[in-house]
Amino acid sequence: MKDLPQTVAAHDLAQSRPPEGNWFVAIRAVAGFQLNRLMTRPRLAMGLIGAVFPAAVMFAVIRTAPIDRNMTVVMIYALIPEALCVLGLLVTMCPVVADELERGTWIHVTVRPGGRQSLLLGTYAAAVLWTGSVSLVALMLTLFIAQPTQPIGLVVMFTALIGLSCVGRAALFALPAVILPKRALIASVGVALLVEYFAGLLPAVVNQVTVSLRLRSLLVEWMEWQKDLPIEMTLFVDDYPALVQIVAVCILVFILLTTAGFILNRRQFPPSVEN
Amino acid sequence: MLSLQNVTKLYGTVIGVNDVSAELGQGAHGLLGPNGAGKTTLLGLITGQLRPTIGSINVFGQPPFGNRRILSRIGYCPAADLTERNATPQEWVTYLMRLSGFDTAEAPRRAARALDEVGLGEACTRPLSTLSKGMRQRAKLAGAFAHEPDLLVLDEPFDGLDPVARHDLVSLVRRWAQTRSLIVASHLLHEVEALRADLAVILGGRLVANGSASEIRDLVDALPTEVKFKTSSVDKLAQMACAAGVVETLCMPAEDTLVIGTRQAGRLADMVAKAVHEGLVVHEVLAEDRTLEGIFSRLMKLHRGVEQ
Repeated sequence: MKDLPQTVAAHDLAQSRPPEGNWFVAIRAVAGFQLNRLMTRPRLAMGLIGAVFPAAVMFAVIRTAPIDRNMTVVMIYALIPEALCVLGLLVTMCPVVADELERGTWIHVTVRPGGRQSLLLGTYAAAVLWTGSVSLVALMLTLFIAQPTQPIGLVVMFTALIGLSCVGRAALFALPAVILPKRALIASVGVALLVEYFAGLLPAVVNQVTVSLRLRSLLVEWMEWQKDLPIEMTLFVDDYPALVQIVAVCILVFILLTTAGFILNRRQFPPSVEN
Repeated sequence: MLSLQNVTKLYGTVIGVNDVSAELGQGAHGLLGPNGAGKTTLLGLITGQLRPTIGSINVFGQPPFGNRRILSRIGYCPAADLTERNATPQEWVTYLMRLSGFDTAEAPRRAARALDEVGLGEACTRPLSTLSKGMRQRAKLAGAFAHEPDLLVLDEPFDGLDPVARHDLVSLVRRWAQTRSLIVASHLLHEVEALRADLAVILGGRLVANGSASEIRDLVDALPTEVKFKTSSVDKLAQMACAAGVVETLCMPAEDTLVIGTRQAGRLADMVAKAVHEGLVVHEVLAEDRTLEGIFSRLMKLHRGVEQ
């Protein structure tokens, strides 16, 4: 064991004064650390199952009866941006606080300058990257099985939809994760069902604040289905241009993450919970 | 360095810290108290984990809660074990340094140096899950001071360490306190005594004593001292003590036991010597423990209202 310096000159002290935090470095550090945590055998196995599942469903369907291109697109949309992304984010985003409390790392992280915000944004980045990667692999496998015409166009479109689904829903799940850390998974499933799949399908103003409306509307626009859409189905999509839909998701993400960050900054846990 | 003004922290209806006021200057300070006394809550308030329900707390002149400038000057080693098992100490401390804002080149350099200082140089690439509790404790300590904070706050830092490691880390922390500030919480008095720190005694969420070890001794010296006698003539001894005017409190917990509380222990001793000389049979005289352990125990009793 070595000695710490016996005396420290004022000059040395000034030079060694710790920085007041660097958000970019800290967020990158958290994201990297969270991705490392995901590189365990159970998590990798879970990711693999997630990646293979849509392709397996597609394989089972086309073996029973051949489906046309539009039906293939609808199936991929339901299986990947809607189902797989949500499931992946439930696993990766929901434990943002609960995992830290359970591992005893919450105090270590939050005593650092900007640690709380870095934890939120770093975990958010890791969740989006992980879920997005698994979803992209799933997309490639599913397209390989389905063999649709013009696959490149579908890859580009679904990559965008997967990206928007991940950034939007991860922000959505961040909120219950910081409000109810111990019940984050249940709360997030509730949010997914009530907000995304119930309110999102209501033909009312409330569906404007859901990611699912934006994704559906983008799918309809990019597939150019507007003209062929049955009149009753037009209630479930928005006819604004794609750019508006993308900006709406970005605004939603900003509001949700800002609110989650605000709440997380004020969270206090008694030592009994931390330990 | 640290100012607490009527600080109270409530968890719902549970009191964590109750109306604590204190001014701590630069240097080493020991926070003593039994388990559940409120030490960790007080440290949580100092390190910006918690916000006081009532009162105010300032570290380096500013409230620490959510204050990036103050948090960057504090290093904290919590009592809870590190259960992040897959990372190595090097990865863990590097991660903490990057959270503190050090870049990808500086963070591992600082981590390696700190781990070397706590004696984990060779084990720093082994996963934390394969390390003993004492080694994980060293890793936590390295993470607390690797960014060279102005104030190092340690909660039960020597828990789980073997005597050699304890001695080494006490020396390390003591040297730290020579140039920067230190607050160490412990329920073991000898740990804090070994750091030659000023003492603050906390009990039931309240600060019951604050000062140097000698100041706390003086405080206790001003209180009645308890002397326990075992004698077959309890009544006679009690009468003699009362007649001599040296009694503050009197208690007979058993037929053959008399406990006298006095501020004039010398006169009481003279009186008892005289009584024994005159034929009174005293089987045992037990003076109160005047070591710091005894003082701690005494302050606890006082606070609980056992002694009046």
